[in-house]
Amino acid sequence: MSESVNPEIQIESSDDDGVSRRQFVKVAVGGMCLAYLGAVGYPIYRYLESPVEKSETLAAIKNVDLNDAQKLPVGSVMMFKFGPYPALLIHHDNGDWSAFNAVCTHLGCTVQYHKDQDKIMCACHGGQYDPRTGQNIAGPPPKPLEKFAVKVNAASLTVSRA
Amino acid sequence: MNYPVWEVPIIGGAWVIGIIAIFHVMISQFAVGGGLYLAMAERKALKEGHRDWLPVIKQHSKFFLLLTAIFGTVSGVGIWFAIGLVQPEATSTLIHNFVFGWAIEWVFFLIELTSAAVYYYTWDRIPEKLHLKVGWVYAISSVCTLVIINGILTFMLTPGSTWLGIVGSGHESAYFWNAFFNPTYWPSLFLRVLVCTSLAGVWALVSFSRLDEEAYGEARTRMVKWSATWLAPSFILTPVFFAWYILMVPQENKHLLELGMSTIGSGAFTQVTRLGLVSIITTATISGVVYFFAFKYPKDFTFGHAVSIVFLALCATASTEYAREAVRKPYVIGSHMYSNSVRVSEIPAFNKNGYLTTSMWRPNGLDATPVAVGQIVFRGQCMSCHTLDGYRSMRRFLADRDEKAIGNILKMLREHKEDSPYRAYMPPLVGSDEEVAALQAYLMSLKSAGTPQGLAMK
Amino acid sequence: MSKIVDFMEERLPLTELAAFAKKKTVPLHRYAFWYYWGGISLLCFIVQVFTGILLLVYFKPGPDAYDSVRQITYDIHFGWLIRSAHAWSATLFLLSAFIHMFSVYFMKGYRKPRELGWWSGITLLLLGLLFGFSGYLLPMDELSFFATRVGLAIPDAIPVVGHAISNILRGGLEVSEITVQRFFALHVVVLPLLYLPIIGFHLYLVQLHGNALPPSEEEKPAIDRKSIAFFPNFVIKDLGMWLITLNVIALLASLFPQQLGKVADPLASAPAGIHPEWYFMSQFSTLKIVGKLIPGGLGEAAGITLFIVGLLLWILIPFYDVKKKGGLIAKRATYFGIFVVVVMLVTTILGYTAI
Repeated sequence: MSESVNPEIQIESSDDDGVSRRQFVKVAVGGMCLAYLGAVGYPIYRYLESPVEKSETLAAIKNVDLNDAQKLPVGSVMMFKFGPYPALLIHHDNGDWSAFNAVCTHLGCTVQYHKDQDKIMCACHGGQYDPRTGQNIAGPPPKPLEKFAVKVNAASLTVSRA
Repeated sequence: MNYPVWEVPIIGGAWVIGIIAIFHVMISQFAVGGGLYLAMAERKALKEGHRDWLPVIKQHSKFFLLLTAIFGTVSGVGIWFAIGLVQPEATSTLIHNFVFGWAIEWVFFLIELTSAAVYYYTWDRIPEKLHLKVGWVYAISSVCTLVIINGILTFMLTPGSTWLGIVGSGHESAYFWNAFFNPTYWPSLFLRVLVCTSLAGVWALVSFSRLDEEAYGEARTRMVKWSATWLAPSFILTPVFFAWYILMVPQENKHLLELGMSTIGSGAFTQVTRLGLVSIITTATISGVVYFFAFKYPKDFTFGHAVSIVFLALCATASTEYAREAVRKPYVIGSHMYSNSVRVSEIPAFNKNGYLTTSMWRPNGLDATPVAVGQIVFRGQCMSCHTLDGYRSMRRFLADRDEKAIGNILKMLREHKEDSPYRAYMPPLVGSDEEVAALQAYLMSLKSAGTPQGLAMK
Repeated sequence: MSKIVDFMEERLPLTELAAFAKKKTVPLHRYAFWYYWGGISLLCFIVQVFTGILLLVYFKPGPDAYDSVRQITYDIHFGWLIRSAHAWSATLFLLSAFIHMFSVYFMKGYRKPRELGWWSGITLLLLGLLFGFSGYLLPMDELSFFATRVGLAIPDAIPVVGHAISNILRGGLEVSEITVQRFFALHVVVLPLLYLPIIGFHLYLVQLHGNALPPSEEEKPAIDRKSIAFFPNFVIKDLGMWLITLNVIALLASLFPQQLGKVADPLASAPAGIHPEWYFMSQFSTLKIVGKLIPGGLGEAAGITLFIVGLLLWILIPFYDVKKKGGLIAKRATYFGIFVVVVMLVTTILGYTAI
């Protein structure tokens, strides 16, 4: 098979099909880019976005059943996961229950319950919250902690979004 | 099951149809698009006075005649043999419905073959205008074959509610036109016409790349460039018609596509989606390669370039056709007959009286051991898709499973619950309790006889 | 737009570059097809870099390696696709690099002034093999675990220092999560750092010296030689090749996705037919054959010595086959090349039939 010779840049035949040529170029290149963008870009997007989707599903949950959590002794505290978030369950001395989203509203550290001071505190920047209402009482937090409703059942404890 | 079963090792019967069909589609769709191409090329050459194009077109028409009249027809007959052997029940149903359709198709087909021969052999022998008319006769008759066969092909995916309503009444052929102009008829027709024109361009590139540069000179270059533009319409319009097509596909079948998107991993559930991906990306590559090699530098276009484009076109055709076939799962005729030839309407009777009760293949007397009965059930209900050791291998599938696990999966297939993921692409398992137990016994016997290939690649 | 161009032009030698690109030509002859393979391996490498970065988003080296790959394969959307594209482009990368090397060899592209290109190319290929070896272990499934264990037999056979080398690579006497951790560091930090400057140097040399002509073309008088402009003619064809390559990768990755075996268990017996990846098969099976002929440690040493001598001859070929009109010497070099190809093919086939 003989190959053609073309030492210089090819001089395009500029006569009759100049317009259709330009259109073809536009369509072919544009369409091709779109198809590639779709076939390559979409999988990559879904790949990177996969955990987001999962935590969104998790975050959408309305309540969590904690088996045997009703046995938590008076005056103690338990950490659990509410969807993707860390959460805090407190059994107060007087027998009341309260549960909060344990993400500090200041910069997102995880807060802890300090029994000696009866306060929820954030170790990062010294934010403090009321352990019954979740109200921000000292330090930098701009908002109260998100409070969950607690329902005691026979064999478990249901924490739900208010 | 009353027809004999054709046991094809390793590749399975479905692939026999598949391989023949892919080649047939590559060539027969060229036969349709190529007819239009020849007529339009000759018209353009005469009208615009490109006399030097005529010898090039003549050369191309020889290539065209050889390829389509030999490989196109032979592979078409091959499909008949293959579907008759692999899917006798479905073939029979199609013949009962469309016998006149096929008869008409063959009339067009005869005109097509004759006019193709006349077209080639009358170059320079009859007046040019008359010759061009022969070209148009060919082009129109070949488009007509597509118009007919498309009705039958699309019927298998979407028979339409009218036909499904009367099926079994004995009046099916009275509803010929309802079955023929079924919901996916039009989008599919337009899609196929687009594919035909692209293939006309692709094969013309192959034919021209073989032409001697010295002898044909400028005309070869110009025609390579012109052929490249034949791929443009399909590139703009395919997405539109494809969207229309998908819109007309029943929800039940679209479920398989969605399953492939949402199910994670790379197994059988995602096949359609993966093939779709290949189809899209290959189509894009074809247009890119045609643009770079043929359109931009038609002078340097070589046979090697043309071969790589044909190879890509083959990949695109194969993956698209496979995906189209796979979307129809679990049916061979949508909502009427499952891919293992079990009719939806027969299922209650099969479950009550047994799958093999009316079958002439049922082992009798002393031969009727559970394993022997199970083997017949396997041949009837599983082997249209599965092979023992090759494609969708049963032995590989059974390798990690014990008797209980096999029982579980058979139970799942038999119950065929709404939420079963297998529902999207596998027919329900039918038959009496004894038959299902026999199938389980047969599968266990496969497991002990076979070599485990736990590590083998899928 | 033109302002940006002006800004750049004042600060970068763009005009010179454009002039260079315009002037540069690529020879056109019956072997011109082989010029594309360097470009194809470059594209495969680029795909490796991109998919590798994407895998890095979820991969965890160390004890979690297997589980993170399991997540990528079965849990993360299209993770299987990214992983399969990475693995398949690795295979295609090495394949095209081998083809590139042999086509350069047979076109005598290593002769003066292109010796540095030859050596940098061999370095790139050897490092590429190391990329493959270190990457293969990372999923830590049964197959990769045992294949790595078997594959480390190759450096282990080097006389005197072999044990030390394989122990350092393993980070212990047995392949473990420590091995994964250091192979990971090798795979994603050390090797890329070495690789990128050498690739840059290699590509610079190609631009500096242009494409080598095969001897059959060299013989022709200059006026009979054909060529095409590098820009845009060759570049556009190269892009076309890239598209095809990309498509082949997508095809292989979608239709034959990479599987994940059972988690590696050092206590389990090796599954039957364990063997290294195809690009190590030749060396592996040569070692086995030599080991059969000469039993014991001596055989291993002999096998390794054979490789080293062969590789040295391969590297030093530009010093032997120097003259443009080489005559007998040039012929001998070609025969040696054919011998090497045949030996590699035969030992690879033997290796696969012996499984």
